[in-house]
Amino acid sequence: MELQLGLALPTPNMVKGFDLNNHGLDQLKEMGGLEAWNKAAGCFADKDCVKSKRSFEQAFGNFTEECRTKPLLLWSGQPNEEEDHKDQKKATFSTTDENDAEEDDQVVGWPPIKTWRKKIFRQQQQPRVGRAENNRVAENENGRSIYVKVKMEGVAITRKIDIKLYHSYQSLTKSLITMFAKDKKCDEDDYILTYQDKEGDWLIAGDIPW
Amino acid sequence: MVCKSWYEIERWCRRKVFVGNCYAVSPKMVIRRFPEFRSIELKGKPHFADFNLIRLKRMVVTDESLELIAKSFKNFKVLVLSSCEGFSTDGLAVIAASCKNLKELDLRDCEVDDLSAHWLSHFPETYTSLVSLNISCLGSDEASFSALERLVGRCTNLKTLQLNRAVPLDKIANILRHAPQLVEFGTGTYTADVRPDVYSDLAGVFSSCKELKSLSGFWDVVPDYLPAIYPVCSKLTSLNLSYATIQSPDLIKLVSHCPNLQRLLVLDYIEDSGLEVLASSCKDLQELRVFPSDPFGAEPNVSLTEQGLVAVSLGCPKLQSVLYFCRRMSNEALVTIARNRPNFTRFRLCIIEPKTADYLTLEPLDVGFGAIVQYCKDLKRLSLSGLLTDRVFEYIGTYAKKLEMLSVAFAGDSDLGLHHVLSGCESLRKLEIRDCPFGDKALLANAAKLETMRSLWMSSCAVSFAACKLLGQKMPRLNVEVIDERGPPDSRPENCPVDKLYIYRSIAGPRFDMPPFVWTMDEDSGLRL
Repeated sequence: MELQLGLALPTPNMVKGFDLNNHGLDQLKEMGGLEAWNKAAGCFADKDCVKSKRSFEQAFGNFTEECRTKPLLLWSGQPNEEEDHKDQKKATFSTTDENDAEEDDQVVGWPPIKTWRKKIFRQQQQPRVGRAENNRVAENENGRSIYVKVKMEGVAITRKIDIKLYHSYQSLTKSLITMFAKDKKCDEDDYILTYQDKEGDWLIAGDIPW
Repeated sequence: MVCKSWYEIERWCRRKVFVGNCYAVSPKMVIRRFPEFRSIELKGKPHFADFNLIRLKRMVVTDESLELIAKSFKNFKVLVLSSCEGFSTDGLAVIAASCKNLKELDLRDCEVDDLSAHWLSHFPETYTSLVSLNISCLGSDEASFSALERLVGRCTNLKTLQLNRAVPLDKIANILRHAPQLVEFGTGTYTADVRPDVYSDLAGVFSSCKELKSLSGFWDVVPDYLPAIYPVCSKLTSLNLSYATIQSPDLIKLVSHCPNLQRLLVLDYIEDSGLEVLASSCKDLQELRVFPSDPFGAEPNVSLTEQGLVAVSLGCPKLQSVLYFCRRMSNEALVTIARNRPNFTRFRLCIIEPKTADYLTLEPLDVGFGAIVQYCKDLKRLSLSGLLTDRVFEYIGTYAKKLEMLSVAFAGDSDLGLHHVLSGCESLRKLEIRDCPFGDKALLANAAKLETMRSLWMSSCAVSFAACKLLGQKMPRLNVEVIDERGPPDSRPENCPVDKLYIYRSIAGPRFDMPPFVWTMDEDSGLRL
């Protein structure tokens, strides 16, 4: 068995009780109070707050010693105040909610499947067919992707998409708007899809059938 | 801490270097310290980066880097790139041309700019040392079959060969004929018009592979060709069918031929019925991964439920590692699993719809996962899903003493949840969290714990910019990185939550090569508090 070297670790004693909670976070004071924290059983004892808040230098300068004894700030076992929780929730989940509202959309990065696996799923995706037709579908879906670079005006990052996954200009445009919406707010009507043909001319997409 | 002479001897003797987080160490440091190393394994991206949570190129290995490796290390033997990107087949061509002693080239899960399959021809005709080649990630349509065949033919020590999808079925027979000594083989696409001559050719060549223990690939499977592998099935210990879109009856037939199977990766087409057969046929099974065939569909497309997992857990006494995607779960099932299979070391359950409750009782799945951590005392890796409150984290903090990696999504009620984990899980190295209502308090209260871990990832949680700054300022041995595509975090109020947060211990100091939407919180950021 090979010897493993890891990064040097602080001594175990230093870990317990090193608590940055009292270093001048205004919102903590607003949230109203510091209650004692009974760590052992996670039970929710409601004791008075620890009166002796250490000053910044004292607390941090000598933290090696302080930490061995008790935390700098004792924190309540209580869950967050309800109002606070709701506000936080709003900020956190707003993006997710927007995502959920969109048609055919999933939360970004969920379920946790690697990108290359997702590509394969899409390529193998077909309108629901019975078992008997599985072979036929396997032959039709030759799985050869056609990747195209797409750039949106005003957005620095170019994206690559697989044209084979789309069936119409509409679905392509919609999907592109969704993709680029992560970088910049955009309305579907504001944008036109153009492409460069073999001669290098820029044409508006949609004139020729898909 | 070691004495100087030990340190010196060790650094000159060390042949293998594993860097779990490439940002925590600088290349210069590694090179300076281990001048004689022969093999390096580098990991970069945080795990949740695999799932499009960031567009950040975490582990960029350029063609220039590959060239540098090739030119600088003439006796280079092993190159394993795991989930990397940024290089192309041009870089691989240089490696192939220059590394005369290369034994292993493994590009698992990489995204490679596949410009040309002809890079394979850059292995000189005199080159024969290849033992392991994994190019399954390459995408190009054209594959240089003759070069591949010649390479395989002259590398008589080749034990592992994993081809990419571009290699058609009828070419496999030729390739395998040159390498009957293979132990691990990954096919390319496993589809072709059904022709008896192709079939018998294939079956014949598989029969001659007496050492074959592991099979993978099987893209686009045509079931008629599956029996061609039956000759090797009785010796198979590992089978990766996770790209094979074949249905339960075909899967059952196949699995029934593999009594010595230890590792199975499969799509949920196997269904509960298939898993029941697996449980009765494969008593040596140690690892099972069941992937979803239709992860984005609203309705289940297959009959795969918690029953399948229960069946395998009850029937396979050596089962220790599981990754299971399904659409429903119950506390009862989880408790049964935990009680019957306390030897789990890796347990990853993904219930596809976030916050799904116990389908029988409509309660959270706290008790079920609690049983897992309580009974499985050697559990090292756990991924949670479903409806979960702070209570599950209390169980985890209390019981999961050997847990090294935890993945959490859409779970918990408050900071108490995070606090339980950070304060209770003594062996915790990697923690990744998304979409949970965890904020500043637990993080700051357990700041020192972060120095004992490799990394912490939090995205779409409630950690404020102010807290990030504070951490960055007070913890010089940590890199605290805020990733936010909405613009600089100081353009918003301090108590605004950051989008994504990545904290890792480091001896290399802050990074300087980050994209514009990544900010390191360092000592200076605290001055603005």
